[in-house]
Amino acid sequence: MPASLEDVFLVTAAAFVILAIFVFYRAVVGPTTQDRLLAVNVLGTNTVVILALLAAGLDQAWFLDVALIYALLNFLMSIAISKFTVERGGVL
Amino acid sequence: MIETIRFWLIAVLLGLGVFFTLVSTIGVIRLPDIYARAHTASQTDTLGAGFALAGVALAFGWEQAAVYTVLLLFFVFITNPTAAHAIARSAAETGVEPLLADEGTDPDETDGPAETDGETT
Amino acid sequence: MAVERLLVPLSDTVTVRQTVAYAVRSGLEGADSLECHLVVAMPYDADVPESDQYDEDADGLLSRARNWVEEDAGGADVTIETARLGADEYLFGPRDYAEIFDAYADEHGIDRVVLDPEYQPGVTAQLLQPLERELERIGLAYEEAPVERSARRGRLAGGTEDFDRLFATFLISYGFYLVLGDPTYWFDLLTGAAVAGIVALSLAQVTFTVPLDRVQSPLRIVRFAVYVPYLLWEILKANIAVSAVILRPSMPIEPTLTRVNSRVRSGLPLTALANSITLTPGTLTVRANNQQLLVHTLIPAAQEDLFDGGLERGIRFVFYGRDSAAIPSPRERDDAEVVGGDEL
Repeated sequence: MPASLEDVFLVTAAAFVILAIFVFYRAVVGPTTQDRLLAVNVLGTNTVVILALLAAGLDQAWFLDVALIYALLNFLMSIAISKFTVERGGVL
Repeated sequence: MIETIRFWLIAVLLGLGVFFTLVSTIGVIRLPDIYARAHTASQTDTLGAGFALAGVALAFGWEQAAVYTVLLLFFVFITNPTAAHAIARSAAETGVEPLLADEGTDPDETDGPAETDGETT
Repeated sequence: MAVERLLVPLSDTVTVRQTVAYAVRSGLEGADSLECHLVVAMPYDADVPESDQYDEDADGLLSRARNWVEEDAGGADVTIETARLGADEYLFGPRDYAEIFDAYADEHGIDRVVLDPEYQPGVTAQLLQPLERELERIGLAYEEAPVERSARRGRLAGGTEDFDRLFATFLISYGFYLVLGDPTYWFDLLTGAAVAGIVALSLAQVTFTVPLDRVQSPLRIVRFAVYVPYLLWEILKANIAVSAVILRPSMPIEPTLTRVNSRVRSGLPLTALANSITLTPGTLTVRANNQQLLVHTLIPAAQEDLFDGGLERGIRFVFYGRDSAAIPSPRERDDAEVVGGDEL
């Protein structure tokens, strides 16, 4: 085989990191709070995927635990911030 | 032989994952308003993450880690639309106006000043 | 040929859906055909500036309730009348409401009033008990619809329902614990049982707000497993369509806002439907209010798919079975429309 499976995972993870940096543009520019929030949410999903890819690439299965917790916190953050941008009433 | 097939299968899955995430990234940067961006954000959540995590699960084979990965994907599938809905709802509640096609908005000119639409403060 | 005439006063409460369902069911039990009068009592006279808003809300509620009756009636012979009452006077107390219902009942030959236990017209305080007293005084037959309320009150009732909830919560949390841990290691088995027991005891009433059905609930999980591949296929198609649009340099998007009256019940089925719609790229649920979904669509193809109602049929299949899945699409039954941005 020309390349090992580990390298493929690491290269994919690098590609995801580069894409995440581009998404960061939207988080900085906005213009509304919700735009930033959405961008951070996408960044969070990207991070979860990167963690899973690293778990496979570095053969560290416990990275997946971190990814699971990260996904949970990402969800909570989106709900919490969108809740507090609205002065009254619920968003769910 | 089996190993080679598995290698290329994983490579293709990861490639598709990167492709859909790339499209989603382009969408998040190019699309004109928050509601349109939310559509393309769900592409990352579904196929981008889906293909990449499928590749990871395949690499782990029949281990517990593969079950973990599937669980992770299931979790992402349940929580992310809820989060996207909450964000869109919060945009609607705070009075961000959507750009709509039938109101004479030219979709070609979306990257210009239209981008500041919906700024409420 | 007996005709049962029912009067159902409506207000926007969590139990109004069940009240309508009960009215239709009980009305059809005793008679061959049913005349269902749905009314909304307007608490203010038409002079106040916000009355347009109240009128609109009332009309929305009436049209939704009409859909519910049609849905519940199936093929039975049901006539639906809707009306707004008290638009030209100021309704002050329970006596005014009772009198206005009585006048309406006399006029239309109503047999019986079906009351929503949470009935609360306008912004006034809870009205049920004084209203019942006044109806009794006037001599108009009424009945309180038996509804399932939120979980908190159900705590007092015991029996098999509670056991089912405990058992299901225990099973789910124990399974989740063992997937994350090691199912063959005795320590994980023991601690998992303890943790799942605590979770089940403290959270069972919160997790399942409606009683579980021992046959239907497991069956729904099986049908959900059938639904997932279909959902993934829809997601794949929508992803490719949206990707093609985004990657074109001219980016020919046509964002529209649409309103769809779905034919699935509030709660878990509606959540599942709204999440499925949001998960599919090209459609995004902005608001979900009772059975009304406000959906933002990005491209015409996604809007077509939404109006064809494939996902709605899927959800109906999961929760109510194969027979219920074959309903007309939202476009055919006139429940889908494109709305402007001011609907938000």
